[in-house]
Amino acid sequence: MIAARLREARAALIGDEALRGPSFGRALADAVDAALEEAFGRLEQHDSVALVALGSYGRRELCPGSDIDVLLVHGLRGRRAPAAIRAMTEQLWYPLWDAGFVTGHGARTVKDSVSLADDDLDALTALLEVRHLAGDDVLTADLEQKVRELAERRQERLLRALADAAEVRRLRPGPVAEMLEPDLKEGAGGLRDVQSLGWAGWAFGPPGGTDALISRGYLAAADLERVETARLLLLDLRVALQRVTTSRSDRLALQEQDAVAAALGVADADVLVRELSSAARQIAWTTGDVWDRVRDGLKGPSGRGARGDQPLAERVILRDGRVHVDADPDGSIPALRTLEAAAAAAEHDAPFERASLTRLRATSDPTWDVWQRAAFLRLLRAGANAVPVFEALDHEGVLVRVLPEWEHVRSLPQRNAYHRFTVDRHLLEAVAECAVLLDAGDRRDHAPGDVEGIVARACRRPEILLLGALLHDIAKGRPGDHSEVGSETAERFARRIALDSEGREILVWLVRNHLLMAKVATRRDLSDAAVADNVAAACASDPERLRLLYLLTIGDSRATGPAAWSPAKASLVRDLFIKVAAAIERASARALAADRRQALSERIGEARAHALLERFPETYVLAFDVEQMCMHEELLEQAPTARCVREEGHVTVTVAAQDRPGLLATLAGALTVCGLDVLGANLLGTTDGIALDVFRAADPFGRVDDGGARVTELIGRALAGDLDLASRVNERRQAYAVAGTEPGPVVIVVDNDGSETDTIVEVHADDDVGLLYRLASAFSGLTLDVRIAKVATLGKRVVDVFYVRGADGRKLDDDMTNRVRAALTACISG
Amino acid sequence: MKLVVAVIKPFKLDDVKTALQEFGIHGITITEVQGFGRQRGHTEVYRGAEYTIDFVPKTKLEILVEDAQATEVVEHIIEAARTGKIGDGKVWIEPVENVFRIRTGEAGSDAL
Repeated sequence: MIAARLREARAALIGDEALRGPSFGRALADAVDAALEEAFGRLEQHDSVALVALGSYGRRELCPGSDIDVLLVHGLRGRRAPAAIRAMTEQLWYPLWDAGFVTGHGARTVKDSVSLADDDLDALTALLEVRHLAGDDVLTADLEQKVRELAERRQERLLRALADAAEVRRLRPGPVAEMLEPDLKEGAGGLRDVQSLGWAGWAFGPPGGTDALISRGYLAAADLERVETARLLLLDLRVALQRVTTSRSDRLALQEQDAVAAALGVADADVLVRELSSAARQIAWTTGDVWDRVRDGLKGPSGRGARGDQPLAERVILRDGRVHVDADPDGSIPALRTLEAAAAAAEHDAPFERASLTRLRATSDPTWDVWQRAAFLRLLRAGANAVPVFEALDHEGVLVRVLPEWEHVRSLPQRNAYHRFTVDRHLLEAVAECAVLLDAGDRRDHAPGDVEGIVARACRRPEILLLGALLHDIAKGRPGDHSEVGSETAERFARRIALDSEGREILVWLVRNHLLMAKVATRRDLSDAAVADNVAAACASDPERLRLLYLLTIGDSRATGPAAWSPAKASLVRDLFIKVAAAIERASARALAADRRQALSERIGEARAHALLERFPETYVLAFDVEQMCMHEELLEQAPTARCVREEGHVTVTVAAQDRPGLLATLAGALTVCGLDVLGANLLGTTDGIALDVFRAADPFGRVDDGGARVTELIGRALAGDLDLASRVNERRQAYAVAGTEPGPVVIVVDNDGSETDTIVEVHADDDVGLLYRLASAFSGLTLDVRIAKVATLGKRVVDVFYVRGADGRKLDDDMTNRVRAALTACISG
Repeated sequence: MKLVVAVIKPFKLDDVKTALQEFGIHGITITEVQGFGRQRGHTEVYRGAEYTIDFVPKTKLEILVEDAQATEVVEHIIEAARTGKIGDGKVWIEPVENVFRIRTGEAGSDAL
């Protein structure tokens, strides 16, 4: 009977939409009270027992889906007590269960209740809010008295536990004001935060509750009023939410927001979420401040002033772990001081001292000189630690003076399954993620393949990355494409803070294109070279723009939420980055080639320039400057001929001669006979059968000091076949031989994948006079065409690298590879 | 009923989605996955830092269909996801015992 009536009463209250928030809570509590009182009245005996309400039921703050927390306090003892109590509780609780309520219930003596409260924080806080329902009110008063005494006795433990729990709520489920799907009860700035204040008050004894906090100076009466207003709004929302969902959930999911807004008569979901955010911000701010003070109180004076004051900037000091800011005599604070104090607060991860924070309201408008800009960028560079500083500045109205654009994005919700945060918090998270990337760039121990770290390290304008992260979504929620509109905002911002013109251009570009890489990486075929070329063009072939865009893409995605940055997406974006970086390098090579062609035409006329370049492969213009090309033209005219040029640390010997098998061997032999050590050779065939071979050589004996006459003469004789190179080289080899050393191993590596057109043959062996001559002879003996030779000497070891093609112009097949190995090994040991 | 499962190149997702919507498919489940097949991974070099992509990013689609539709759905996926190059992916069909719509409790074909 009781159950049926209670069920009906509850349904009627839920159906009566005029009953909102606190009045619903009171009405439902009254209905439950009536049912329990009736059930209690029917008990056969009720001496030495009292029925009390706890928790939200005790506060008469019930929502449609709330649990009913009740306790039967008793003073019964003896063998028959347990059975009697079981009989009573069954009669009391069954109507609640039958009416569909979830209950938290118990039956205990006062002593047991206090002992339980001493062990368990939740039990203690629930018992701090007992409300007598029926029975022996002396028992209830005794329980209340003893629990309150316990709270005072366990002051430090209670306060610490409450402060720690508040901190945990900030991390999980996260701040109500900044989550797109906030938890109204357990989120930071939610109802639990408000309740915790009341509980904390009892740690200081009577009068308990928030009154105790006010009288002790932990809480200002004006702040409490604002918190109370915010609490009523949250309650109103919570009742409406549970009405709409018919569930016990406190999470304001995106899919429920429209219905909840309609139920509350709010214009739309966005307005609802903004009102909620502003209320939750107020709660989070005030409670956070109370916990800070409480923690300071717990530390005591010895813990605070121990290390003395630390100056951070002019009239800004770090004292007791708080940043103190002094005003000028006229009460104002220059913008630079505020910005530097903010940067220092973030860098030291220290909150502002309360009075200083209030003083900051008198901050003058920034003029954005170089120092103010630097301080603002330092604040951004602090990353995650800048988030609470931004909150503090915003709370005091300073942030909108520094960044008026913030007004628009504050608590701005976004309807998007990927996002976790409101726009403002997302922007700060993106800054924090980018700061983490830059930190990685500052470290020197990059793991192999750590592309992000290498890119961050190469960044020339990291501050533009931070500004881009701060502004990339600044135009969300405005009409038009937010990237486009945002780039206009970024331009105004950059002009206002007087950013240099290059920085401004890159920043505007970055905001406009912040989605480019993520889009292209996931929606285009990366194996299509045109895709990378297009992105390279969008970056104006500027590697710095590409680097910044890559890092912003990572930072933005990580700040969005776990769904937005999967390993698969990370891999695609990295792939795209590398391809675009390569495309930019190719493009800059093309640009260099075009410049050189132009310069050559201006020097020797278009017809001659064209004729010269026609004779060479495409890569020729990249390898030589205009001076060298002019010299090559002259040499080709006079072939066969040679010229020596002394350059920084080495000599360049250029030879033009009729191309023929064994030319490299002949020239290498001639240079050895001259006493030059070849460091590298670039062997260019021309279309008309004249070869142009360019050697880079060391000249340890000063053989080119005469302008190279002897060298060119010797090369001429070698080309004409007037020299017995084999025996001359051998003579030198004998003369310079080092006796008694054990020969090192010969290693030959053949790589058919390293180059698109040639087989790369690497020879690792002991250094030896004329080695290049003998190796080149071995190649020509197999009628192979050596196109490039590089020589690297590492102590007594040498690595000679040859780019080789077969006589048919193709890479070597397996058979030829084996013959090459055999021939090279033989010529080294022979 | 059948479950059609496809593993395709990520950038082909939009094409496949459009093709299936035109065909009249109303629901697709998408997962970003990584793996290798004959395409294997590859090695890229950036500024001397070599990194190996052991697993290639792919998109996995799961579509519940009537028995009679399965083959056609597979054909549409193949047509839309094909580039002709290595790594285009795979499609397969699995038998499904039963399907339920959570909200209404409908079962079998009604739940598709």
